[in-house]
Amino acid sequence: MIQPQTLLNVADNSGARKLMCIRIIGASHRRYAHIGDVIIAVVKEAGPKATIERSEVVRAVIVRTCKELKRDNGIIIRYDDNAAVIIDQAGNPKGTRIFGAIAEELRQLNFTKIISLAPEIL
Amino acid sequence: MAESIILSVTGAGTQFSGELWHVGRLESNISRRPRRHFVWLSLNNKQHLQLNRYFWPIPRTRALNFNPRGSPLHLAYGKEAEDSFLSNANKDTDEMFDDLFKKYGKVVFGRNDQKPSAAELDDDAESLSFAVEIAKAVSEVKAADIKVLFVKPLVYWTRFFIIATAFSRPQIDAIGTKVRDLAETKYGKVPSGDTKPNTWTLLDFGDVVIHIFLPQQRAFYNLEEFYGNATQIELPFENQPPFRS
Repeated sequence: MIQPQTLLNVADNSGARKLMCIRIIGASHRRYAHIGDVIIAVVKEAGPKATIERSEVVRAVIVRTCKELKRDNGIIIRYDDNAAVIIDQAGNPKGTRIFGAIAEELRQLNFTKIISLAPEIL
Repeated sequence: MAESIILSVTGAGTQFSGELWHVGRLESNISRRPRRHFVWLSLNNKQHLQLNRYFWPIPRTRALNFNPRGSPLHLAYGKEAEDSFLSNANKDTDEMFDDLFKKYGKVVFGRNDQKPSAAELDDDAESLSFAVEIAKAVSEVKAADIKVLFVKPLVYWTRFFIIATAFSRPQIDAIGTKVRDLAETKYGKVPSGDTKPNTWTLLDFGDVVIHIFLPQQRAFYNLEEFYGNATQIELPFENQPPFRS
């Protein structure tokens, strides 16, 4: 359940540490974003020597949510944090590696690049 | 706590205590709410303990609603057994379990969505031929440094990666079009992934995933290193002498 003003962790090595959601793309009638949704976010915190600076506006795709994700077969996945991966306009990830477990649903939503960089797919 | 333990002894046997301890452990793990356990113990004439235990939690509360259909890992007793196991769940369970026990002696733990190994091998071979064909098509459009990686032991979601370098966006477009045409005409597969040429263009055929990079992006993402443990497939056309010498 990501909405504007939600703080998210960054699940890649782009250098950003914390993002704040400011807009959900393609969700004029929806209140919340879930796994696989693209959001516009502000970098609230960035690591040293990062290519991305603080207060930069970026696109990101949500990869983990505390809100549980339900599948048709009855599996429910709930992560400990809200996390996103920074992407560019064309959908390529800004970082080169992804951290943590990623849900398989991203593949159906055409984020296979993120899936292929991730260490663990659920 | 409601509990019923049914013992059916078909012969002489002495190894009771260990199994009963087992039952107790199971119970302590999952029992804070009332539920039932049905336990079958059977001892055959040779004094080998054959245990068949059906652990069947019947929830009394909504919070613990257990859906056996949805669980990926459950006790499987073969396909037929499982079907009847589920369908007759609320009927006369005693008879059903007796029948099942006569049919299948041992408890088998396994996933029900796994294919037999022969079918897996067939699928692997099919994907391999598809991947090699695609790699050949990619090389015909003069892509460089083509690598076919067998990534199935590393990731579960696909079998083969094809990684190739192209030197311009028109070339990426040409490779993408060629691969799509080949896959659709010859194999009837339509890829998901990128539709427009991109600096990293990805075509996802399910079992085979094709990555086409510009040289800069290939060095940046360095997928070969990330999948360094994957076995590389030898391509038949690589050893041939070049057309112009």
